[in-house]
Amino acid sequence: MSEESTTSASERRTLDAAEQRRAVRNRYARIATSTNGETDCCTDSESCCDGESPDSGSQKLGYDDTDLHSVAEGADLGLGCGNPNAIASLDEGETVLNLGSGAGFDCFLAAKEVGDSGRVIGVDMTPEMVEKARENIVKNDATNVEFRLGEIEHLPVSDETVDVIISNCVINLSPNKPQVFGEAFRALRPGGRLAVSDVVMTAPIPKNVQRDPESMAACIGGASTIDDLRAMLSEAGFVDVEIKPKEESGEFIREWDDSIDLNDYIVSAAISGEKPVEGR
Amino acid sequence: MKESLMDILCDPLDKSDLELEVDERDDDEILEGRLIGTETGEVYPIEDGIPNLLPPDMRDD
Repeated sequence: MSEESTTSASERRTLDAAEQRRAVRNRYARIATSTNGETDCCTDSESCCDGESPDSGSQKLGYDDTDLHSVAEGADLGLGCGNPNAIASLDEGETVLNLGSGAGFDCFLAAKEVGDSGRVIGVDMTPEMVEKARENIVKNDATNVEFRLGEIEHLPVSDETVDVIISNCVINLSPNKPQVFGEAFRALRPGGRLAVSDVVMTAPIPKNVQRDPESMAACIGGASTIDDLRAMLSEAGFVDVEIKPKEESGEFIREWDDSIDLNDYIVSAAISGEKPVEGR
Repeated sequence: MKESLMDILCDPLDKSDLELEVDERDDDEILEGRLIGTETGEVYPIEDGIPNLLPPDMRDD
């Protein structure tokens, strides 16, 4: 009893974080197992194509036809909010880490860019997604892509081993974003870069939407403001931080929720930063 | 997982090295086995080729 009454704010936050993780995992496990690699992309109505094929949604997100047709079906679940590979401009031979790799679509695109001398590692905390991604390795005959089950707040990746970190509409789902950026910074080599597509908050999201675990899991409730993101990235050590909202994202964000126009609150943004080379 | 990717893997808890124990492999590909934290002693299973490197409190299923 006394324990309950003395629960500290940080403990309460931890509980919320656990609840948040559970909501995210459950949602994406459901999506992973409900898709069969055909055109129906998910059974949820929000934050994903609504009855249309992932392809038509993905074109709006900044992938071109070549991208969409170069990866075998089933890897693109239409769950992103941009094209992080386009932000990253990858070079042959680079080591790429994808935070929240899902079924692997961005990893397979990145794998083509970095070629056989490069490698791509995808980390995702949802077992069903990682299994699906592994099946997609076979379909894509990809030899330079690996997936592991892991948490982006506790990356199982050694210090200074990665050239580029990409992520697509995932970091907003984390209950501890500063830790995610700190881990990303640690894993990057000096001179390495972060290229993220994610939603950012442009106006305060109504409290009832923010507190709803489903809305959080659907990339809405957990979005940060541009100023907050910039502060978190600088705090982690990143330099040359750029956060560019993409006005054209309104077209697909509008389809995420029927009850309110989410364009009033969130926009998709290209987020980038670099780990400084020492002594520069 | 490929054995050649061991060099960039680490223990998610304290970032120390991992030791690999293999039960089943197909060339460079490790299908079943485990990764053990050299400092933490934590055991991370490899099942169906997928290393489970979630922190222990996240492996609730």
